[in-house]
Amino acid sequence: MSGENVSKRHPIFTADAWGFRASEQMPETINRSPSKLFYVYLMAPAIALLAAITIYPFLWLIYMSLHKVKLGPVDDKWVGLKNYAKLLSDAKYFEGWVLLGKYSSMCLTFEIIIGVTLAVILNNSRFEKPLVTLFLMPMMVSPVVAGLLWFYLYNGTFGWYHWLFESLGLLGGASILGRPETALYGIVIVDVWQWTPLITLITLAGLKRVPQDQLEASMVDGSSPIRNFFSVSLPNIFPFLLIAILLRFMDNFRFIDAILALTGGGPADSTKLLPVYLFDVSFKFFKLGRGGAIAFSLLVVTIILGLILVRIFEDPARKQAMSAQD
Amino acid sequence: MASREIIRYDNSPLLRLAKILTPIFLAVYLVWTLLPLFIMVMASMKDLLDAFDTPDAGDWGGVAMFFDFTPTLKHYYVLFAENNFGVYLFNSLVASLGSALVAVTLGSMAAYSLARMEFRGKKDLLFWIISTRMAPMVAVTVPLYAIFRSLDLVGTLPGLILAFTTFNLPFAIWILKGFFENVPYAIEEAAQVDGCTRFQAFLTIVPLVAPGVGAFLVLCILFAWNDFLFATIIGSGGAKTLPAATKELVQPQNIDWGKIMAAGVITTAPMIPLGLLVRKYLVAGLTMGAVRE
Repeated sequence: MSGENVSKRHPIFTADAWGFRASEQMPETINRSPSKLFYVYLMAPAIALLAAITIYPFLWLIYMSLHKVKLGPVDDKWVGLKNYAKLLSDAKYFEGWVLLGKYSSMCLTFEIIIGVTLAVILNNSRFEKPLVTLFLMPMMVSPVVAGLLWFYLYNGTFGWYHWLFESLGLLGGASILGRPETALYGIVIVDVWQWTPLITLITLAGLKRVPQDQLEASMVDGSSPIRNFFSVSLPNIFPFLLIAILLRFMDNFRFIDAILALTGGGPADSTKLLPVYLFDVSFKFFKLGRGGAIAFSLLVVTIILGLILVRIFEDPARKQAMSAQD
Repeated sequence: MASREIIRYDNSPLLRLAKILTPIFLAVYLVWTLLPLFIMVMASMKDLLDAFDTPDAGDWGGVAMFFDFTPTLKHYYVLFAENNFGVYLFNSLVASLGSALVAVTLGSMAAYSLARMEFRGKKDLLFWIISTRMAPMVAVTVPLYAIFRSLDLVGTLPGLILAFTTFNLPFAIWILKGFFENVPYAIEEAAQVDGCTRFQAFLTIVPLVAPGVGAFLVLCILFAWNDFLFATIIGSGGAKTLPAATKELVQPQNIDWGKIMAAGVITTAPMIPLGLLVRKYLVAGLTMGAVRE
């Protein structure tokens, strides 16, 4: 086909006009077309606003972490890395990390076990749709309201769940949030109540994409349903679970609303996870410099987790497996 | 899906056991999920302190006490008449809707560009966008408060809208980008061939993406409405929202549980239908687009 020939044709006869092209996603014409500026204009307001409300605070955070921040008209005093050095000898800071890890792994263990079991059951149930609708209601509750609701349920005088624990002979009459040994379990239960449905939803999305031919082949080979689950379904839903785990893990860094409503970090600092400690340092003791240093370290870890998450997001093999329709 | 019916297993004892246990598990889980919400609604209609009493430990028959009360809407009335909940409701509405609109309008423009344009450093830009959404709220609150104080934005609705936008805008950009990527470029191209300008061509795909954009707008409202930390620190004073106001009802002594539960119901009630309305997009929204149903 000569160039002359093509130019004579009406555009409707070209393959492009019908959407037949090797790559639909990224047509090469865009790069050549002068309308690139169009995209830049469309993008500019959002990027500018986002930069103003995130980069500027981030620089502020670094500034604060390098100063002794004085409230009032006095100038802040440059202290270099002193705020960071102090963290190294701060037992509560390390305890905060340990509690955050303990809390997150306990929440995730329960949420995954219950959430995946539920998803497997629902996937084979006639009532999947109505049940899922009912199950996901706790996710809509504002975390601070969820915290206050459970604060009431756990209350030593009026709480019905406290009464239930007592009647079952658990806890020896003490309120679950009242003792350092049990308070952490108390806040874990609330997280499990609120966020198990998310794991169920993600797992269900994964189970819908388990290739039927693999299941059938395995069945023909005579494997039991349980064997089937562990050797066919589970490997297929694994990438979904991985994303669920990372997301929940990061949310535990992000949100402390429920914990603030339930215990505020007590008793005896037994629920003072690092973000809660950071809240106290900044907004109770107003040590903004030290708060900045803690916040910065928390941010660094989150960004590392985020990098891992995005790596999984963009893994081509995973993308293909997860978007394949059956 | 149809092929699922083909799979039949022999009735092994293990499977029969599973068949019995399954409904029990579902029933227990249903109670575990809904009971707290049910108790919240009931408690919000209890007035006298006697109504809140629990029976002695182990007195299972005493559960009847839970239902032994005269329902009243007094707490709801008091919250609006004396505790300014009308104002907080208004603040919640304006702040969450405002931030959702800003996020989705600017976000869809940026998302469209990012979906259609290829350039060097795009990956880094995208990672920066999503990382702002992942940042721990407390870590962001401290510097944001310092900046907003110097700009006199603390305790104002514009300030709160801006604060909510820090998490809603990256969410909107990221999720809508994936959404636009699923719309074939050929549609716009065909429109351009027909003589549309670049912008008119963009308008041709708007009806295709409208339901999704609407759903993510609702999700942005949900995230902002349910936020507590920004609402209580950036919004303290003039722009208190429902979650912040609800938390403030907790006193060190003589806690009025009925009132707190009523406030909880007011905060929660509008969000449950909204959440169910966008049920189809919920998983995509809550996993930043990584998982689709």
